[in-house]
Formats: sequence, C-alpha cells, structure tokens
Amino acid sequence: MKKSIFAGAVLALILSGCSSSGEPQVDETKNVDAQQVETVKTETVAAENANVEGSNEGMTSDSNEMSISSLENELESVYFAFDKFNLDTNAQEKISKNSSTAKNEASAYTIKLEGNCDEWGSDEYNFALGLKRADAVKKALVAEGVDASRITMVSYGESNPVCNDKTKECWSKNRRVDHKLLP
Amino acid sequence: MKILFSILISITFAFASDATIEVIKKVDSLPSIAVEDSSEYKDETFKLKFFKTLIADLNVLSIFNVDRYHIISSYDTNTVDVRNKAMDYVLKYNIQDYGDGFLLQMKLISDGNIILGKKYKISDSKKYMFVAHTMAYEINEFMGQPSIEWIKKKVIFSRIVGPKKSEIVIADYALAYQHIVVKGGFNVFPKWSSQKQDGFYYTSLNEREPTLKYVDTHTGSVKNIISSEGMMTCSDVSDDGSKLLLTMAPNSQPDIYIYDVATNIYSKLTQYRGIDVGAQFMGDDKIAFISNRLGYPNIFSKDLKTGYIEQMVYYGRNNSACSANGEYVIYKARESSNAFSKNTFNLHMISTKTDFIRRLTASGVNEFPRFSKDADAVLFIKNYKNQSSIGIIRLNHNKNYLFPLKYGKLQAMDW
Repeated sequence: MKKSIFAGAVLALILSGCSSSGEPQVDETKNVDAQQVETVKTETVAAENANVEGSNEGMTSDSNEMSISSLENELESVYFAFDKFNLDTNAQEKISKNSSTAKNEASAYTIKLEGNCDEWGSDEYNFALGLKRADAVKKALVAEGVDASRITMVSYGESNPVCNDKTKECWSKNRRVDHKLLP
Repeated sequence: MKILFSILISITFAFASDATIEVIKKVDSLPSIAVEDSSEYKDETFKLKFFKTLIADLNVLSIFNVDRYHIISSYDTNTVDVRNKAMDYVLKYNIQDYGDGFLLQMKLISDGNIILGKKYKISDSKKYMFVAHTMAYEINEFMGQPSIEWIKKKVIFSRIVGPKKSEIVIADYALAYQHIVVKGGFNVFPKWSSQKQDGFYYTSLNEREPTLKYVDTHTGSVKNIISSEGMMTCSDVSDDGSKLLLTMAPNSQPDIYIYDVATNIYSKLTQYRGIDVGAQFMGDDKIAFISNRLGYPNIFSKDLKTGYIEQMVYYGRNNSACSANGEYVIYKARESSNAFSKNTFNLHMISTKTDFIRRLTASGVNEFPRFSKDADAVLFIKNYKNQSSIGIIRLNHNKNYLFPLKYGKLQAMDW
C-alpha cells in the first residue's frame, strides 16, 4: 500500500515538472557595432517670459484707488450650490443690493464679474461652470437695470480660492462670483 | 482497490501541482536586468542621480525586473560583476567629462555577450535625464517592443502657485528636468503647437479678455493669436499643426470653434446654448467633446462632414474631460457626488468600435487624461491628499507610475 502510494506520488511529481511554458523570447542578434556617436538633441528652451499685463485697476491716483476698493467691498460676492449655476433667493437679494450700488456710486466704472469654483476639477468644464455663474449674475444685474455694456466676465475655475481647507465650509465659500471695478 | 486508489491520487496530484506552478511562473516571467556604473565622472552625486534616473526609466519600460543596487564595475571587460551573474541582462555604462556636458558609452550584455552597444554625447550635463530616456527608448526598441516615443518627449504643464498665479513649465516625462518658461500672472492650458514641440499655445488671463498666445521656444517670441470674452482655450491641435480646436465664450456662451492657423479663419462647431467644451480631434473628420446638453456633462462626438452628433458614453452622470486616439477614448468620470466630503474622479477607457470599457485608476482625483500619439501611454493629473502628481498609465502593461510635484498644484498639461 505504502509502496504504491509512494510510487504514485513520485509519478505525480515527475509529471508536474513537465510544464511547457516557454521562456520569454528575446532578440539575441549580436549587433556589436558601437562606432556610431549619437548626439541627443538639446533644444534651447525659451527664456522666462514675465509677461504680465495686469488690468489697471484704479492706478491713476491714490484717491481713485481708494474709492474703487471701497466700492468693491460694497459689492457682495454671490454664492452657489455644488455643481450649479442658478441663483437662489439669498443670491437674488445680494444682486438687488449690488445693482443699486452699480447704478449709483459705481456708475463710472466697468464691472468685471469673476466666476469661481470649488476644487473639484481644473479642466475646461469647470472654467465654463464658473463662467456660467458669472453670466447668471450678469443677467440678473441687467434685469435690475444695469447697462449690459458695462459688464465684462471672466472665469478662474478653481484657481482663485479664498481658502484651502478641505471642509465643506471652505468649498462653499469658493463657489462664488466676485465683483471687481475697472475704470 | 489500493492500486486504483493510488493511481487516482497520483493523477490528481499531477494536474493539481501543475496548475500551482503555472501561476508562480507567470509572476516571475519578466527577464531581470542589472545596471553597472563604470563612470569616470568626478562628481559622485551626479553619478548616483544619473543611475537612479536610468533605473526609473528601465522600470517604466515594464519589460524587465530591474535590480536597484548601484554596482560599480570596470567598463573594459565583458564579464559582469559576480553579484550579477544570475541576471538575464546587464547594462554597463561609462560617463566621461566633455566640456559642460558628457560622453556616455553603454553596452548591454547577456550570457557573456554584448548584444547592443551605443554612444551618446550631450553638451549640457543639466539635461542628463534625456540621455537616460534615450537609452531606455533604444533598449525598448532593441527588445522588439512597441515604440515608446513619448519617453523622449517633453511635457509642458501649468501649475498654480497662488490665487490667480501660475507658472508654465517644460519638463521631461518624469519631472526630473524642469524649466519655467512663463512666469508671473495667471497663464493656463498650455498646448504644444506641433509634434516637433518647437512652440506652444497658452491662455493668458492677465489681459482685459482671455487671450490665446503662441510662444516660439527657439526664439522666445510671444504672439497674440485670438481673444474672446469669458473663455479662450486651445483644447487640441491637429496632427499636422494646421488646425486648432478652440473653446471660446462670446456672450458667455461656451462653444467649440475650429481655427485655421494659416488663414486665421474660424467657424463655430456647436450650437447648444449650454456648455460645450474640451474638444479633441478624432482623425481628420471627427471630434469628441464635452457637453451638458443632457443636463449633466458627458462625452459626445461630432462628424465634421455630416454634422451628426452622437453620445459616446452611456455610463455615469458626470464625465467632464476626455482624450481620443484612434478608436479609443479615455474620459474622466466623477464617481461620487458629494458636496460635503472628498470626491473621487477616475479615468475610464472605452472603444468606439466595440462595447469594451475598462477603468484605469482607483482612487483620488484623477483628471486631464492625455493619450500619447502612439496610444501606448496616457498622461494624467492626480491630486491626492494635498500632493499633486503627473501620472503615466502604460496601457499595454497595465501599470501606473506617479511623478510628484515638489510645489504647486497641476492645472493642465500636454505632451
């Protein structure tokens, strides 16, 4: 009994050893010609380009600068829900108040609406969402009597956060449209 | 009875053990390679840096089991160091001073024979990583693997360094070489203008209106191409560099336009009054793009000859970025929709000819997929726990590699 089991086990081991998966084939051509000298292309890359043409926000005189920034502070930012660009009642109230400032104290300036998003995604879609938010605010301002030609818009996507914490409070603070004044 | 019993057991053992051994063999089937440094270069730090770059490149090839020990040996003999006797391949290289750069000779040894020999010269030793990348590329070619041109190419990316502040950087695929080419202000969405990588487009948000600019990397000159209110991005460049797919938003209406570089003439491709962005060429007559015409962002294609628009992805409720190559499209899908906690975005790949679909990443925020021209690899951005990295997926080898940024957050990139 033991002998036959032992013979059977030995037979099993022998048979199992005969696996036929081949070694990976490698190209073994013995190409030993090492005479070629190959230069790696080294392309000179453009020098740094400090092209900053910032918008001239109230740079004409000190008093001008003061009034622009104080007026900007009066124009409250408008906030949005996650992944949305429609205005809720809170937003509508702010816009009504802002439109009054825009038509009176700030009537000499162009209004630049900056659309912003929270941090989820830096692609074009997010930039477009920011723009749609700015557009929603623009349409509401125009409906309140602000001249449409005074309003310009831009979107910064998620690249202009007011805070960087990973909390829902911070994310909701970033989903906003800011108002800036241009002379 | 006993004989029958023992025969049955032996037959069972025979088949069972064969299956077990088969599994183990598959895992171990990559040939091993070791690298021996025979450099006469004086600077020890540089030697180690080069060695590490070369090891990383050989690893990314995904065709070897790469041994990581830094072994020094003599270049003249064909025999390998005694510690590497069991290796399938040994790569020996020798670096010598050459002005501001260096000369490199290498030989690939297998079974005591030299099977490949190459020489390289570079005039600026700060660009040493490109020599390592070229060596890896040529070894990959020699091993008969599908070509991986992307390993030699430059990557251009923008990173956010502060609110409304960014830099555009040109780098190698592993971010070992980095050269800041546009600094100051807010500049985003850089895009190579051609396969030769002799110029690039980018969007400047510093002017009154978003403006698309072109930089010639040889002369450093900057040229304004086109401006638009609201949004102005170059989403894709045709293979021959003659046409651009732009996203512009006059009247805050984001739509896709096709622009002819030579004539400056452009025409609108989408009419939907919602969001249409992120177009990618799929051959000469078709584009893929992102649209929220179904109420949520998804991937669509448009035939430029017939004007026919077709939905491409039927999974998920938020697919907001894509890259196309031949019949394959890779897109970014939002996997969780939570306003109150961290979200996950993953990359998926589909075929336009069959119903094949495959998920490529597992966790974190994975976005901005970019196919390489040879469709072998996908570049993407991964943001995970405050660390921003460039990721590479080797599609045929099913492996992902990550190259983290030391500072800043990746915004967009191209290769």
